[in-house]
Amino acid sequence: MKKLIGLLVICVLVLSACSSKSNDTADNGNSSGGNGGDKASKITVWAWDPNFNIKAMNLAKDAYAAKDPNLTVDIIENAQNDIVQKLNTGMSSGTTKGLPNIVLIEDYRAQSFLQAYPDMFYDLSGSIKAEDFADYKLGPTSVDGKHYGVPFDSGVAGLYVRTDYLEQAGYKISDLQDITWDQYIEIGKKVKAATGKDWISLDPNDLGVIRMMIQSAGLWYLDADGKTPNIANNAAMKEAFEVYKKLMGANIVKTHSDWSSLVANYNTGAVASIPTGNWFTPSITAEASQSGKWAIAPMPKLAKTPNSVHATSIGGSSWYVLNVPGKEKAAAFLKDTFGSDVDLYQKFVTDVGAIGTYKPAASGEAFSAANEFFGGQKIVSDFANWTTKIPNVNYGLHTYAIEDILIVEIQNFLNGKPLDDVLKDAQSQADAQVK
Amino acid sequence: MSKARASMNIKARTSAISWSFIALAVLLICAFYFYPMVKALMLSFQTGTGTNLHYVGGDNYARLFKDKTFLTALKNTFIFLIVQVPIMILLALFISVLLNDSKLKLKGFFRTAIFLPAVTSLVAYSVIFKYLFGNDGLINTALLKLHLIGAPIQWITDPFWAKITIIIAITWRWTGYNMIFYLSALQNIDNSIYEAARIDGASAFRQFRQITVPLLKPIILFTSITSTIGTLQLFDEVMNITKGGPGNATTTLSQYIYNLSFKYTPDFGYAATVSYGVVILIVIFSILQFRLAGDRNG
Repeated sequence: MKKLIGLLVICVLVLSACSSKSNDTADNGNSSGGNGGDKASKITVWAWDPNFNIKAMNLAKDAYAAKDPNLTVDIIENAQNDIVQKLNTGMSSGTTKGLPNIVLIEDYRAQSFLQAYPDMFYDLSGSIKAEDFADYKLGPTSVDGKHYGVPFDSGVAGLYVRTDYLEQAGYKISDLQDITWDQYIEIGKKVKAATGKDWISLDPNDLGVIRMMIQSAGLWYLDADGKTPNIANNAAMKEAFEVYKKLMGANIVKTHSDWSSLVANYNTGAVASIPTGNWFTPSITAEASQSGKWAIAPMPKLAKTPNSVHATSIGGSSWYVLNVPGKEKAAAFLKDTFGSDVDLYQKFVTDVGAIGTYKPAASGEAFSAANEFFGGQKIVSDFANWTTKIPNVNYGLHTYAIEDILIVEIQNFLNGKPLDDVLKDAQSQADAQVK
Repeated sequence: MSKARASMNIKARTSAISWSFIALAVLLICAFYFYPMVKALMLSFQTGTGTNLHYVGGDNYARLFKDKTFLTALKNTFIFLIVQVPIMILLALFISVLLNDSKLKLKGFFRTAIFLPAVTSLVAYSVIFKYLFGNDGLINTALLKLHLIGAPIQWITDPFWAKITIIIAITWRWTGYNMIFYLSALQNIDNSIYEAARIDGASAFRQFRQITVPLLKPIILFTSITSTIGTLQLFDEVMNITKGGPGNATTTLSQYIYNLSFKYTPDFGYAATVSYGVVILIVIFSILQFRLAGDRNG
């Protein structure tokens, strides 16, 4: 009897511990964050990255203070994962208390939020002129022709290279203007032979480099409908996997497992190049002693896949207004700042290094300024130029779910499993996962 | 007649009073334990993204058995369980016996030192372990300097070593916690039993095997059940040290639940199904351990 009671007690404890895990979703969300929106004269903003997004938002706040001095803009910094989690818990619980008025969401995740919580976002079609923004940003930010987001960080990618290491191997930055990924690897081998430095730093748990490769060919993990996994018959994915294996086998890769070790690999001069988004610029320039030693080349392209271009994007993000009290004020704020203020965009470039996707701003002065850190290269105008060429893809609902499957399968591929089997297995797992 | 009525009244009144005492607790437990449990069970029969849920019957449970990620998470959890729990239990037992030695000096210091990990924050210690075991971390640097290894061990980025790192981390965190249970139980064992054994010529090992272990059996059972449950719910360490990687070499069930709810497009229904899978496993394991430990102690 005693035994039975003991067992029962344990069961109850365990049950409650477990069920709380899934039910947290219903209870948590309200505990933290601003109490956005109960007073119309105050709006709350959630964003991540104090050196980039938060800084840009602060500039927007200052610019808007001239137009509406009565509006208080409360900017709260959260890690991106925390924002995702808080939004999920808050929105699924059905209470809007504690949610912000404006929130930054990564483009890869945007559709999953917009479609999972259709009533929670405020339609901004009337506040922004969609055609003023880069084409590829509108896919993630709109549903059924309605625009819910104000596109911001372009996420446009380039190839950051140490020119001093390149020269030791007998190359110039001009040799990197029109290369394929295969050539990129060959150059890397020569640089390693000449300098002993690794060519690229990769995290085996992050397939950002694969994402950049396939988007450069206008393809994605998912079909254009944003729902059907497109892996087994995806020509770009196939070539990207082959390139990845070649890269890994060339003995030119240093691995990292988190952001700080990634940045350290470059700031210490241990690694010579990184293909990544323009938001990496502040991390490169943080090491002042390397001034003049860096340059940015266009992205390499896939050699065999048709339509692959020297432009792609990674991890861009956009602003969204939540359907909570104060939404009109929030929409008006975004309309007059990120939605139309050309001067503000010049400030983003000069003060933050952030390149928006607002087309009318690209002709501004700040966009054509030379950057001494990058040897006088006009990096902003280069990035802005590449931005216009980024192929439009639908990131859809399941980017991260599929990426987790691919991370496992790509390891199998590196360990010798045939490529066709790898992609077929990934396809069938993805089909089961996203149905 | 009236006397009987009066006694009934008294009975009713006493029972009403006793009910009123426990009513609040019952209500709170129902609201915060049983209601969420039932709700989660219902949720586990639904699927969909975010708030657009619809009932699918047993489909979610059928999906569990075909879900490769779930099966890998299950396998990882079992590896942690089978390797880590026995190591930790034995280590805790061993240390507690050492610390219980009446001739030991600085007992308080050692006890505190070994128990201290158990009061550190899970996230804080995980982050520290992540840096200790990083590619250029302290452990690798030390091993390299001592010429014990030729090249840095990929503690976090290699599937095998990542598992070892997690096992080392949770063993460090939880051994002291279990040790305290053994220590308090050891202090309840009458010293004269050992004295008698020594007079009869029993060796230290024999004393340990035939006196200490049998007398500690209820506590060993308790700690192994709580450790099993803890391991099945392993989350913080894996999330912070390896993020479940490389690939999904260290993903655990709890982390998969998190991913389904927060990392991917949220599917709370299927996430609830996975958590009920964990419940079922824990119940099975607890029954098994009770059985294995025999019927007398329960």
